[in-house]
Amino acid sequence: MKLKVFRYDGDESHYDEFEVPHKPGQTVLDALFYIQENLDDSLSFRYSCRGAVCGSCAMLINKVPRLACRTQVKTLVEGEDKVKIKHCPALDKGDEIEDGAVLVEPLPHLPVEKDLIVDQDKFFEYYREMEPMLKTKSEVPGEEYEMDPEDVSELEDYTNCILCAACFGACPVDGENVNYRGPAALAKLYRFHIDPRDKSERLSLADHEDGWWACEFHTNCQKVCPKNVPPNIAIGKARSKLEKEDG
Amino acid sequence: MKKEIFHEHEILVVGGGLSGLRASIEALRSGKDVAVISKVHPLRSHSVAAQGGINAALGNTPGRGEDHWEDHAFDTVKGSAYLADQDAVDILCKKAPEAVIELEHMGTVFSRFENGKIAQRPFGGAGFPRTCYAADRTGHNLLHTLYEQSISGKMKFYDEYFVTSLIKENGTCVGCIALDLREGTLHAFSGTVILATGGFGRIYNRSTNALINTGDGAFLAYEIGAGLEDMEFIQFHPTTLYGSNILITEGARGEGGYLKNSEGERFMKDYAPDAMELAPRDIVARAIMTEVNEGRGIDDEYVHLDLTHLGEEKIKERLPGIRQIAMDFAGVDPIKEPIPVQPGQHYSMGGILVDNGCETDVPGLYATGECSCVSVHGANRLGGNSLLETVVFGKIAGKMASEEVNGKELNESLFIDAIEKDSKLIDSIVGKKEGILYSEILKDLRETMFQHFGVFREGETMEEGLDKIRRLKEKFEDVYVESDDKKFNQALIRTLELRNMLLIAEAVAMGAVRREESRGSHYRTDFTERRDEQYLKHTVVRKGVEGPELEYSPVNLDRFDVKEREY
Repeated sequence: MKLKVFRYDGDESHYDEFEVPHKPGQTVLDALFYIQENLDDSLSFRYSCRGAVCGSCAMLINKVPRLACRTQVKTLVEGEDKVKIKHCPALDKGDEIEDGAVLVEPLPHLPVEKDLIVDQDKFFEYYREMEPMLKTKSEVPGEEYEMDPEDVSELEDYTNCILCAACFGACPVDGENVNYRGPAALAKLYRFHIDPRDKSERLSLADHEDGWWACEFHTNCQKVCPKNVPPNIAIGKARSKLEKEDG
Repeated sequence: MKKEIFHEHEILVVGGGLSGLRASIEALRSGKDVAVISKVHPLRSHSVAAQGGINAALGNTPGRGEDHWEDHAFDTVKGSAYLADQDAVDILCKKAPEAVIELEHMGTVFSRFENGKIAQRPFGGAGFPRTCYAADRTGHNLLHTLYEQSISGKMKFYDEYFVTSLIKENGTCVGCIALDLREGTLHAFSGTVILATGGFGRIYNRSTNALINTGDGAFLAYEIGAGLEDMEFIQFHPTTLYGSNILITEGARGEGGYLKNSEGERFMKDYAPDAMELAPRDIVARAIMTEVNEGRGIDDEYVHLDLTHLGEEKIKERLPGIRQIAMDFAGVDPIKEPIPVQPGQHYSMGGILVDNGCETDVPGLYATGECSCVSVHGANRLGGNSLLETVVFGKIAGKMASEEVNGKELNESLFIDAIEKDSKLIDSIVGKKEGILYSEILKDLRETMFQHFGVFREGETMEEGLDKIRRLKEKFEDVYVESDDKKFNQALIRTLELRNMLLIAEAVAMGAVRREESRGSHYRTDFTERRDEQYLKHTVVRKGVEGPELEYSPVNLDRFDVKEREY
């Protein structure tokens, strides 16, 4: 099985091809480890949990941003890969997918540091800008807030986000407008907006042309999300609320 | 020393998981200048993977009446096979309700009962439904909450810095040296150190742990004279996914899941007739291994965790993460088919010896969370108690370390010497043109640990294992890295991690060989009984003149009488 991997050392970039023996259940992350341990120990990529919960290993695999640890090599090689996303200019860059091979590249829309590692500072800067911490008014020490299980269920759609930045790499708007805060940051803001315990005014934080109003509803964010978070729905709801308030 | 590579703070927290962040928040609240140094971005820490929940005697379950922290303490002590220090367990259980409520106030979205209160589920070894949860993603929710609380701007984060050594001056720990992974340069940090580096599960080949759990903190502490306590007690989680060993939460059994062998039998009836699938982890893990060893496993490798009778709705609501894991990593939908599971290394009960204020026996050095041993888990940890430990003792560590901070004059030459020493070490690994690759030694180490120090242990096999570990340590002298890249040289990091793991493996092995009894997770086929008169005591391994030396220390037993464990 052939893996074609993007390489960058800070000066120049190129692609390396590696022949990796196939094993049942093998993920793209497993294959990258095989390369690092047996073929070329200079290959760099982020990893931690290998179980799709920590968000370290989002990268562009066969032109789809996704977690390397959750992507089975077999489905890629056999063409059963089902994620269909809308076109994004960043995907025209770089090499093309070859039949029977796996193409591994760094996540688009963020500067590459080395090989498959990107600089996520901007992504987290937008996250912090949303002031993502609960702001309550009157907590009673020693007593929990009571919450309706239905409210919890809606909140879970958004708290499930693991901040892997796959959505940021898949969003065509982020590809064109470097100031767009992106799906993850907006979904996080919406999560605090709908938290019944939170008493601060939230939606205005992104009520500008690079916030809620920049989204063009390509819905790539939801399609590539490993946790099925729907930022597009959050953005739509936030917009209608703001429109109602204005009108 | 250049300013760019010398960082002065009051508190240095090494590790950005739950313990580290909780300690940092507390130190910041005490008005200290706090820095978090972590080899990964804090949100990538292993805490994020904790699934099942966090214990607290809230007594929220409708119709079940009140729960009491003393009952929680009893279950914890009994579960620990009486090796936990009972005064430490008191602190853990007494502070549990306020710790959970604090997390709720900080923003954690816990699952709720219909009446709006935090939901609680039954967990193994507990006499009451005491485990609070956020679906089956409790660790993820808690870690994100604490990270949110810590990014106000006053806390300094050094993400992707790997600590290579601690610095001691006149017997006190005064800082550390760390490698900036992005640039490949060594930096010096001054301040009181709190280690919160997590467990060391990756010394085993079958482990639920994140790949980054390599026991770095325990190694660092050992090197400057701190003791390592009860290292031989390794928890094997009964249900890890066959193949990848990703955790399948105990919550799946808490919600009513069955364990079945190849004959379709609920075999737990032969091992723990009352508690059945909810017996403590050590007992269930041995039961599964016995079924497999006696030919009632499936493909001679695993058993089935059957959730199909719980129904689609309950599985989707309570165990959505488990369903996703089973589908993604084993191609099995638990609504329709049983999940293939086998025991795997899960938790390190032992760790850096600390007192109830989280201080090690090196002044100026604190440790908390899985890297430490207070000891609240003894010989076997109950599910739901590790998340609890991270927040209760993380807070204590942050508070106690802050009280000790003093504005002593820095001796800069110590830091310069330490950088030089670590720089030489790195050059010696990267500079070699040939030798042995870390991956070769690591593979051998992991196999040795599971074969010789696994679920079932035996004297002679363990002696062989200890010899193998020592030979691997010798081999490490010839280790080399081909790549001389400065930026993100992961082969170098993995080699340095391997150095840490080899020492830890040796400490585990020494403790296990010497402990001639069975207690909790340490089960010996040549000594199948618990032997309180000789071994109701803690193992402590320390750096001696010629290598690690072993001694014993007493257990605090001031609350409950020591009894047999029956479930």
